[in-house]
Amino acid sequence: MRLREIAYSRSGDKGDVSNVCVFVDDPADYPLIVERLTAHRVRAHFGGLVEGDVVRYELPIVHGLNFVLDRALGGGVSMTLRVDPHGKSFQSHVLDMEI
Amino acid sequence: MHRRASGGTLAIGSGSAYANDRLALAAAMADSGRVTYLGFDCLAERTMALAHVRRRRDPATGQDERIRRLVPLLRRFLAGGGRVVGNFGAANPDAAVADFVDGLGEAGLHEVRLGVIRGDDALDLVRSRDADLPELGTTVGALGDRVVSANAYIGAEPIVDCLRQDAQIVVGGRLADPSLFVGPICHELDWSLDDWEAVGHATMVGHLLECGVHSTGGNFEDPPYRVVPDPHRLGFPLAEVTEGSAVVTKLDGTGGAVDERTMKTQLFYEIHDPRTYLTPDVTADFSQVCVEDLGQDRVRLSGATGREWPSSLKVLVGVDQGYRATGEISYGGPGCVGRARRAEEILRAHLDELLDPADDVRIDLQGMNSLFGDKGAIADPVEVRLRLAVRTESEERARDAAHEVELLYFGPAGGGGVVTSVVPALGVTPAYVPRELVTLETEVVTS
Repeated sequence: MRLREIAYSRSGDKGDVSNVCVFVDDPADYPLIVERLTAHRVRAHFGGLVEGDVVRYELPIVHGLNFVLDRALGGGVSMTLRVDPHGKSFQSHVLDMEI
Repeated sequence: MHRRASGGTLAIGSGSAYANDRLALAAAMADSGRVTYLGFDCLAERTMALAHVRRRRDPATGQDERIRRLVPLLRRFLAGGGRVVGNFGAANPDAAVADFVDGLGEAGLHEVRLGVIRGDDALDLVRSRDADLPELGTTVGALGDRVVSANAYIGAEPIVDCLRQDAQIVVGGRLADPSLFVGPICHELDWSLDDWEAVGHATMVGHLLECGVHSTGGNFEDPPYRVVPDPHRLGFPLAEVTEGSAVVTKLDGTGGAVDERTMKTQLFYEIHDPRTYLTPDVTADFSQVCVEDLGQDRVRLSGATGREWPSSLKVLVGVDQGYRATGEISYGGPGCVGRARRAEEILRAHLDELLDPADDVRIDLQGMNSLFGDKGAIADPVEVRLRLAVRTESEERARDAAHEVELLYFGPAGGGGVVTSVVPALGVTPAYVPRELVTLETEVVTS
C-alpha cells in the first residue's frame, strides 16, 4: 500500500533544510507509520536529493511525523539550480512510499 | 482612541502571505466586519535581497510595491478604526510609510497615525563582526562586495511599542512572519512579551495566519484523496484568539476549507523540532498542540507554549551570485527521451567550450528526472522537456549558454517550444548575531 492512500503531507523550506510532515487520516493508522516510516527509509527514498541527515520527530497528539531533511535543497531556494527550489514537490514524493 | 478587545478575545485576519499576493483577498477580509486587525506578511527569503537591489538602483524604492493600490481597498476598514501591521518596509520602511501617506491622502483619509520601525538593516553589523555564514562555510568578510544586504529578523516588541502610541498602521522591514500577529495579540489582550507561554500561543496563531491561503486549502489538494470546495475562490484565514486557545476560520462564501487537515499541515509547515521553533519573540513549543475540528470551517487550537526567546537573532544575508541562465526545449513522440538525451550531449559539448570550469551547470529532463532524480527505468513518456540551468559570474556567458538551447532547434528532430531567460542570481544565507547588538527605533507620524 502506498502512503498516499492513508496519509497527507506538506513540505517547507528554510535555507538548505526541508521539512516534510505527514499525518494519517485515521488515527488508527498512526502506529503503522511510526513503525514503517523510519528516518532511515525516508532518507533512502529521497536518495541523492538529500546530502545531510534525516531526523524524525513524532507528533502523537496530531497523529503525524515530521521529517527534517538537512542539506536537501541543493544549497537552498536562492542558490540551487533545481527545477523545484523550495522542495514543494517533496510532500508528494514522500506519499509515494510503500508501507 | 482604539478600543481594547472586548471579553478577552481578539479577532485578527491575514492580509497577505508574500510580496505578490492577491490584494482582493485582503480587501475581502478588511470589509468583512469580522476582524479589527490585519497582518500583512510581504516577504520571503529572497524578497528582502531583491528589495535591496531595487533600492540600490533607486534610493526612493525598496519597499513593498503594492501599497498605493492597497490603501484604497482598506479605506472603510481604516475609517472604522481597523489597524494594519505589516513588513511592507522590506528594504526601505520610510519609503513604505511615504507610500501609505500618499495613498491615505488620495483615499480621503486624514490624520492617520503611522508607526515606522527602523534598525533591522544589519549589513554594517555583520561586516564589522565578519559574521560566519554556516550554510556557505565562509564569512561575510571573505565574500567582500558580493554581500549586498543583511537584515535581522525582528520581533513583536517594536510593534507593541507603536500600537501603544496609537499607531493605526505599523510598518517595518524584516519583521518576522508570526510577529506581525504576536504584536497585536499581546497588545490587545494585555499579554506581557516575557510571558513565554502566552507568546508561544500567539506565535502559533501567527504561524497559522501568516501563510494566507495555506491554511484554507492552498497547497493542499490531491484528488481524489483530498479535495476542497471552490479552490479558485480560496480566502484568507482569520483567528479568534483568547488566552490558551484560538479558533481559526475563514469568511463565509469563500472556497476552500479550514479543517483538521488544513490546520495540521500548516501548523508544522517549515517547523523543524516541534518543541523548539525559534522566532525573535520566543522559543515556541508546538509539540502539545491539540487540533479540534468544530465543523463549519472552524478549528480550535490549544496547547501551544514557549520558553525564553533565543539569545541570537537570525540575519538573512544577501549574496550576489552572478547570473542564472535557464533554457527549455520539448521533445515528443516515439523516441523523445533518446532525442532529448542526444540534445543534452550536444549542449554539454558546446557548454564545455563556452563556460568556465567554476560555472555551475545542471541539465534535467522534465517528465523523467527533474524533481526526484533518476528513479531507474521509466516507460517511454509521450513527451519530455529538456531544461538547462547555469550559474556563472559572467552575464555574457549566461546569455551564450541560454542561446545554446535556442540553437537546439537545429539539433535532434522535432525540438520545439524554446524558452530562455537570464536573470541576476541573488542568494540568501543565514548568519546569527547577539540580539542586543540589533538596535531598533520606532517613530509614530501623522498623515
